[in-house]
Amino acid sequence: MSTMTAGPAESTLAAADFDTLAGGLTEPEAIAVARAAAWERFTALPWPTKKSEEWRYTDLTKVGFEALTPVVPATATAEALSADVREVLGRSGERAGVVVLREGRVAHLELEPEVARSGVVLCSIRDAADRHPEVLRRALFEVQPGPAEEKLWALHLALLGGGYFLHVPRGVEMPAPIHAFHIVERAGTLSSAHSFVYGESGARASVIDEFLSDDLDAETVSLHGATITGEGGAGIEYVALQRFGRGVKRFSTQHVAAGRDSRIVTFNVTLGGDLARTDVTSRLDGPGSDSEMLALWFGDSDQHFDHHTLQHHAAPHAHSDLLFKGALTDSGSSVFRGLIRVDKGAQLTDAYQTNRNLLLSEGSHASALPNLEIEADDVRCSHGATIGQVEDGQLFYLMSRGLTRRQAERLLVFGFFDEVLGRLPMEGVRARVREAIEEKIGL
Amino acid sequence: MSEPLLSIRGLRAKVEGEDAEILRGVDLDLQRGEVHALMGPNGSGKSTLAKVIAGHPAYEVTAGEILFEGEDVLELEPDERSRAGIFLAFQYPAEIPGVSIANFLRTAVNSRLDEGEEMDVFGFQRTLAEKMEMLKMDPGFATRYVNDGFSGGEKKRNEILQMAVLRPALGVLDETDSGLDIDALKVVARGVNRLSEADEALGVLLITHYKRILNYIQPDIVHVMMAGRIAESGGASLADKLEAEGYDWLQQTAAV
Ligand SMILES: Nc1ncnc2c1ncn2[C@@H]1O[C@H](COP(=O)(O)OP(=O)(O)O)[C@@H](O)[C@H]1O
Ligand SMILES: [Mg+2]
Repeated sequence: MSTMTAGPAESTLAAADFDTLAGGLTEPEAIAVARAAAWERFTALPWPTKKSEEWRYTDLTKVGFEALTPVVPATATAEALSADVREVLGRSGERAGVVVLREGRVAHLELEPEVARSGVVLCSIRDAADRHPEVLRRALFEVQPGPAEEKLWALHLALLGGGYFLHVPRGVEMPAPIHAFHIVERAGTLSSAHSFVYGESGARASVIDEFLSDDLDAETVSLHGATITGEGGAGIEYVALQRFGRGVKRFSTQHVAAGRDSRIVTFNVTLGGDLARTDVTSRLDGPGSDSEMLALWFGDSDQHFDHHTLQHHAAPHAHSDLLFKGALTDSGSSVFRGLIRVDKGAQLTDAYQTNRNLLLSEGSHASALPNLEIEADDVRCSHGATIGQVEDGQLFYLMSRGLTRRQAERLLVFGFFDEVLGRLPMEGVRARVREAIEEKIGL
Repeated sequence: MSEPLLSIRGLRAKVEGEDAEILRGVDLDLQRGEVHALMGPNGSGKSTLAKVIAGHPAYEVTAGEILFEGEDVLELEPDERSRAGIFLAFQYPAEIPGVSIANFLRTAVNSRLDEGEEMDVFGFQRTLAEKMEMLKMDPGFATRYVNDGFSGGEKKRNEILQMAVLRPALGVLDETDSGLDIDALKVVARGVNRLSEADEALGVLLITHYKRILNYIQPDIVHVMMAGRIAESGGASLADKLEAEGYDWLQQTAAV
């Protein structure tokens, strides 16, 4: 079944030229120009190598980008919810809306009528480009990534067309989360989707992005970006639950901007794919803002998960707290590289950064590189990282009750993760994440 | 006479990688349905014996054997021994933050099911609630993390709760009485007695310092461990003698 209204050019990235790629897209001038500029930057920049600090542990040159077939999503379509999506939704409690994306193209979108009446806008990025081109252009195309991240970010923007746009007006509190499913079905493709979440002052929003695919038999790349913005006093909870099948490599870049007295929680759960790179930047723009950055991962076989974070305190009196926990088995490997940056004017900053790793096998490997860069003098900051194994005493205790070594280890991983899960404010979201982790870990 | 539930012969053990033997030739037979008390001064090797029975990997058995229901268990992993019916109530139970008692016990019960066998979730919850009530535990206890921040008494009760749910053939209770006030001691002792009543074949090896718990759980046989050996065995009256005279009169026997 094909519901695409305007198919993309089926050529490899190496052979693609931008006009063919973007052909068939009609979009506002501002976006078209910005997109073309992004493509130009992408083609001009070299791929970053392992010589750069950001890519020391993940060799991008080993990803066969040039041979992939880029997909630029055309117009959104309206198809019924597929069985797998309905199955998950049936077990996920209350929600305010659902978005289903296939290779970035919005295939289904629904918002509770009552929520829509309160002024909340949920639409595809393509529609947002028509209706709010300036908002979108500023939020996406003016983000300035670091030099080593620019190449991929430019590619993400050049291919962009996929994803959704959520806008919650002043003072509106959404009663339940939006649940989005990012589905990748076509092996050998390169697709890109963006999650745009904007809360005006006093707004409350909760979003869960779930990334999934079957095991694919050819190298497939999924690019993802998120911009999460909270104006004064807003409260936003954003969860990315990544459970791609094997064969998929995913790169996600997430930018949080926290306004005065806002509170923004991001939670990345990484379970699937061959390679998953996640960059999260939280900019504390307003005094009194609060950013909580959480992550969990469980890697097995030869999965490689790479996390880079920045807690950027640009305003005084703000608080940020990062807790990333990962467990690895088989030959799984992971990286955490985090930086707390406190600008000169950001006095009375409270910033914490903790990464804990649990290794279950001889062959697994974790790297942890926490870092501070502080220019203000009246701050409270701490950072720390640990890499350890399960405790023998705990293991013996569990085994003495009949649990096999594997069961005991897995139960200890759950215990290790619980502290982070407990910090998710929404019970329904917490239950969904716990279930996905259980499915991956097995018991 | 039928074969003993537990039969220990010439057992010698040391800490893995060290020279000094802690167990220096232990012999002990425990029949089905019997309660044995194991007493002895601090450091004589009681907990080591308990942990070696359960298969703790820190210890190396250098000689002797442990037969459980006639089978040599020394080659079995700790989980296999547990599923075979051996239960150790720890003197110092491990704390497992993040794992609730209910989740832990559900996994333990699950591990006893055959491949493809489905757990009766409601049955499990009912059993758990029943056993908690028997041990006068608050229902909210099941959702607490295993031993995390528990008082000494709560930890001991939690050990007996696990024994009650897992229904072993042999319970080795290592100083389950220490740190309990008299009311808590009575509750725990009554719990153990109820398990004995429910399963007449249940064997109990009750390790203790004090005679106090033996007022509530009647032992069939009392052993005294001195410097890694059973120095003396006798009837319940041996415990009275130890209470009155201490262990000094046994020093000579042990040294020989
Ligand atoms: N894991 C261990 N590492 C080092 N020494 C140990 C260990 N376990 C027991 N021991 C030593 O063995 C002796 C007996 O200890 P234990 O079995 O705990 O005695 P009890 O329970 O009778 O008080 C003590 O001297 C103790 O220090
Ligand atoms: Mg002891």
